[in-house]
Amino acid sequence: MEDINSDLKYTPTTCPYCGVGCGLNLVSKGNTLVGVEPYKRSPINEGKLCPKGATCWETVQKPGRLTTPLIKKGDKFEEASWDEAIDLITKKFSEVHKQGGPKALGFHTSCRTVNEDCYALQKWARVAFQTNNVDNCARICHGPSVAGLSLSFGSGAATNTFEDVLNSDLIVMWGSNAVEAHPLAGRRVMQAKQKGIPIVVVDPRLSPTARLADKWIRFTPSTHIALANNMMYYIIKEGLEDKEYIKERTKGFEDLKKTVEKYADATNIHGVPQETVQEFARQYANAKNAVIIYCLGITELTTGTDNVRSMGNLALLTGNVGRPGVGVNPLRGQNNVQGACDMGAYPNVFSGYQAVAVPENRAKMEKAWGMKAGSLPDWYGVTLTEQITQCGDPIKAMYILGLNPVVSYPDSNHVRRSLEKLDFLVIQDIYWTESCEYADVVLPGTCFAEKDGTFTSGERRVNRVRKAVDGPGESKYDWEIIGMLAKKMGLSGFDWKTAKDVWDDMRSVTPGQFGVTYEKMEKPESVHWPCPTIEHPGTPILHVGKFAAADGKGTMFGLEYHPPAEVADAEYPYTLMTGRCIFHYHTRTQTDRSPTLHNDVPENYMQINTLDAKELGIRPYEKVKVTSRRGESIAVARVTDDVAPKVLYMPMHFVHGANDLTNTALDPLSKMPELKHCAVKVEKITEA
Amino acid sequence: MSKKGDMLYAWTNDAEIQKKAELGGAVTAIWKYALESKAVDAVFAVTKGVDLYDAVPVLIRDPKDLPKTAGSLHCGTLLMAKLVKKYMDGARDMKIGVTVKGCDAMAFYELAKRKQINLDNIVMIGVNCGGSVSPVVARKMIADKYGVDPETVHKEEIDKGQFIIEYEGGHKGISVDELEEAGYGRRSNCRRCKMKIPRQADLACGNWGVIGPKAGKATFVEVCSEKGAALLDGAVKKGVLATEAANPKGLEIRGKVEGAMFKLGDKWRKHDFEALGEGKDRLKKIMTETSRCIKCYQCIEVCPICYCVDCTTKNPTFVPPGELPVNFMFHLIRYSHIADSCVNCGQCEEVCAAEIPNALFMHAQQVELEKMFGHIPGVDMELPLMAYAEEKEERQRLHNTGSDMIYENVFNPVPKK
Repeated sequence: MEDINSDLKYTPTTCPYCGVGCGLNLVSKGNTLVGVEPYKRSPINEGKLCPKGATCWETVQKPGRLTTPLIKKGDKFEEASWDEAIDLITKKFSEVHKQGGPKALGFHTSCRTVNEDCYALQKWARVAFQTNNVDNCARICHGPSVAGLSLSFGSGAATNTFEDVLNSDLIVMWGSNAVEAHPLAGRRVMQAKQKGIPIVVVDPRLSPTARLADKWIRFTPSTHIALANNMMYYIIKEGLEDKEYIKERTKGFEDLKKTVEKYADATNIHGVPQETVQEFARQYANAKNAVIIYCLGITELTTGTDNVRSMGNLALLTGNVGRPGVGVNPLRGQNNVQGACDMGAYPNVFSGYQAVAVPENRAKMEKAWGMKAGSLPDWYGVTLTEQITQCGDPIKAMYILGLNPVVSYPDSNHVRRSLEKLDFLVIQDIYWTESCEYADVVLPGTCFAEKDGTFTSGERRVNRVRKAVDGPGESKYDWEIIGMLAKKMGLSGFDWKTAKDVWDDMRSVTPGQFGVTYEKMEKPESVHWPCPTIEHPGTPILHVGKFAAADGKGTMFGLEYHPPAEVADAEYPYTLMTGRCIFHYHTRTQTDRSPTLHNDVPENYMQINTLDAKELGIRPYEKVKVTSRRGESIAVARVTDDVAPKVLYMPMHFVHGANDLTNTALDPLSKMPELKHCAVKVEKITEA
Repeated sequence: MSKKGDMLYAWTNDAEIQKKAELGGAVTAIWKYALESKAVDAVFAVTKGVDLYDAVPVLIRDPKDLPKTAGSLHCGTLLMAKLVKKYMDGARDMKIGVTVKGCDAMAFYELAKRKQINLDNIVMIGVNCGGSVSPVVARKMIADKYGVDPETVHKEEIDKGQFIIEYEGGHKGISVDELEEAGYGRRSNCRRCKMKIPRQADLACGNWGVIGPKAGKATFVEVCSEKGAALLDGAVKKGVLATEAANPKGLEIRGKVEGAMFKLGDKWRKHDFEALGEGKDRLKKIMTETSRCIKCYQCIEVCPICYCVDCTTKNPTFVPPGELPVNFMFHLIRYSHIADSCVNCGQCEEVCAAEIPNALFMHAQQVELEKMFGHIPGVDMELPLMAYAEEKEERQRLHNTGSDMIYENVFNPVPKK
């Protein structure tokens, strides 16, 4: 019988790019994708899309997709059968495990792929090799949010929904350029502005988001804690703190008070005039409902976790958590960065943040996964970038699902050197990436348009991903590949037939998501976790009445300002900040294959202040050389006053771009590398 | 035999269609006949997706699939013509029957003028449209203004100036005026719309003017073309459709309803355009609002006037690529290319991620241009003023290359690279 959809089929699904989780319709004819059309029924974006979402289909069925397993023989990669590849991988991983134990293996999963894949990979790592060396790329975007917000509120996730900003009386955007990085969350702020809700943007750069602001506060890069403490000094001094809330719902006030007293005037650190700090402090404290939205400007620093806790401090001090219109909301970078963490692809927790250190949790998982009692490890696994550093010793074999570390991890030269030290590297991806050069086996997975599954957005909403077309060649669902590996090793509990089977496997061991069923995700409203039972409606707003922490309290911390690990000096006199631009996503593996997006930004660029450009004799759009202690990069100069003198901004998307310059120094609490701040010098390129 | 200008009541004799369809099921029955008689290869219509707030376009070849397209969905804010251009090669090789609202019909003509749709292969059944409501707005409106859980609603309609819902446990109507005062209701372009009965379609159908014993059981049909007349006669002859002459009183009522709609459209035009100010004030307002643009290109993607293979907004000479905020030239290019032919379909505004009232800006300019040059877009095949402009350079290029290809068109596509 003729398929009535062979002419034209709309598949409602979720955008594969940022953590907003916009709905869109993939349009296909038979097995060919032909476009994206608005999904106006989605409550998240109402059919509206950003340049990336609108073009996401363009990159799916392009040449260059991986279509068959590849095995490196000598210097060359040769096509191989699935049997051959699966045999080789299980053999090698088992050997390494036998010789070096669980710490000789490393597993990385992507926040770009569906929850089902993330759950499958961590389950295989833990069941087959009893290792906690499993992590995901949240480590290099919102690891500090998970750590910081857990310490402050007892849950590492955003407290309120994107749309909830429309219930606020004041919106503070701190280190977030939502208009470019999370455009459809940015749209909510635009709507709020049209409603007359005041917007304060705290950013060293006049970003497109800062242009929306009623008040833009430019401060010295990476001095968040000094600025927040300075504000809290005024709030306490003027008695504007929410005394009842502090008493009823929080602890740690005295600790905080003692610390912020030292920040009566911190202009010499953060560069903001005291009148502005005082005025902002009053505005925030006096607003009936104030929300803080923050992003990687806060997290990607060696003080990342403390920066996040400073946002928590501000909100707790003024009673701004636990009802509509308030809260502290990290805008999660990737489509499934919330989900990858939720799934337990994390070195210290199982799915739903059940700590591996707790014996009852291990016992429960051992039982559910059919393992011998006492076999799951209790130790804190090695984190993402630390695993790179451990390549060769003790990590000998590594499995990377959907990441491109050579471009996206800090200090690319270090990453390249490290990967070379591995005995065996498997990369499972959809395209041949720069990192594949270092692999021994490359496996073809499927992308968002080719599989069913779920992405969990930054507002903890679990959104359905629906298959529109088949994957290319012999590619397979990514969870299916993991299942094949596990079954080859004779393991049970990996016999999933559909993505829903994987999801239900996860649900059965994850109390906070037990009620999030595929049936409830049919409508685009879907469900916000926590949702512990089938009857439970889900939880759009966290910490209502009681914090998620064990004692039910929010915690304030006295936190000192520390400068970044590397600051500008005589030799490297410029501060380099990094970030996103709206036209590209991460390492451009997908976005650069879209003609539309490539046309807008084909190559690396850097914003430099007018005065600096004049001093160096740099003309607009001239190519310049930027050098740090770790490497160098060529960039087109965009001469602008959007950045302050001696401060530069480079997007993070390009090969031999920002990450050839960035610093690997880590935040001690979350192991976040300092991607947002390093010292560089800038030179004109002289013709030979 | 019917002819252009006939006014009829029509209803179906087909038992299957009767079960599902509203107002006698005339439109569904005519499509059934069209498919079975091969008058069309496929029918392009709208069906319910996940619920009644979700309108999904479907291309139907088997008449058995037709009943699921029956009934109206006021949350269906699709623009069918652009989809025919994008996904059906502009009906180059396929005869397609399409159910159209006023804006769809206008868009078909504008795309046909630009050789992006082969109108000879299109059969249009127009349906009266008092306006449509964006799905998410509709759900909020039902929750906030009706106090009803939108999940429990199984039917919605706009009748006698009211938006009426039927839900588990009752039905409720609130006047559209009241809803719109409160910021809900129809899309703003729909409020300004004056294309309520799409007579440029082959048949114009609806429930306005159906009175007496046939009220609620038949559809009012105005025959608007020879093609429409033939289709109607064929369906009657085949026995799937029955007709009778429309009640003259009903005809009068239909005219009154349309007149009232025009008046309301004029009221909203005055309201919206006056708020824009004039001259420099208007320019300033447009510049301020468009400064939020995030360059998603979706206003271009959905626009029934846009069709260029290489959009001028992507030419670095005019708009510096890769930069936000977007240079205002981006929007000036759109105004200069589109404003004379804008049909106020509202798509550009509905999909705008930066909440820019694009349709309002464009429509306001179109109305001014219409006053100046008398060109009315979307009603016939008359070309806009710009089409007559001589472009010396372009002519030279054509001369030099020996090509007549200014633009790709459905009759003469550029070979794929």
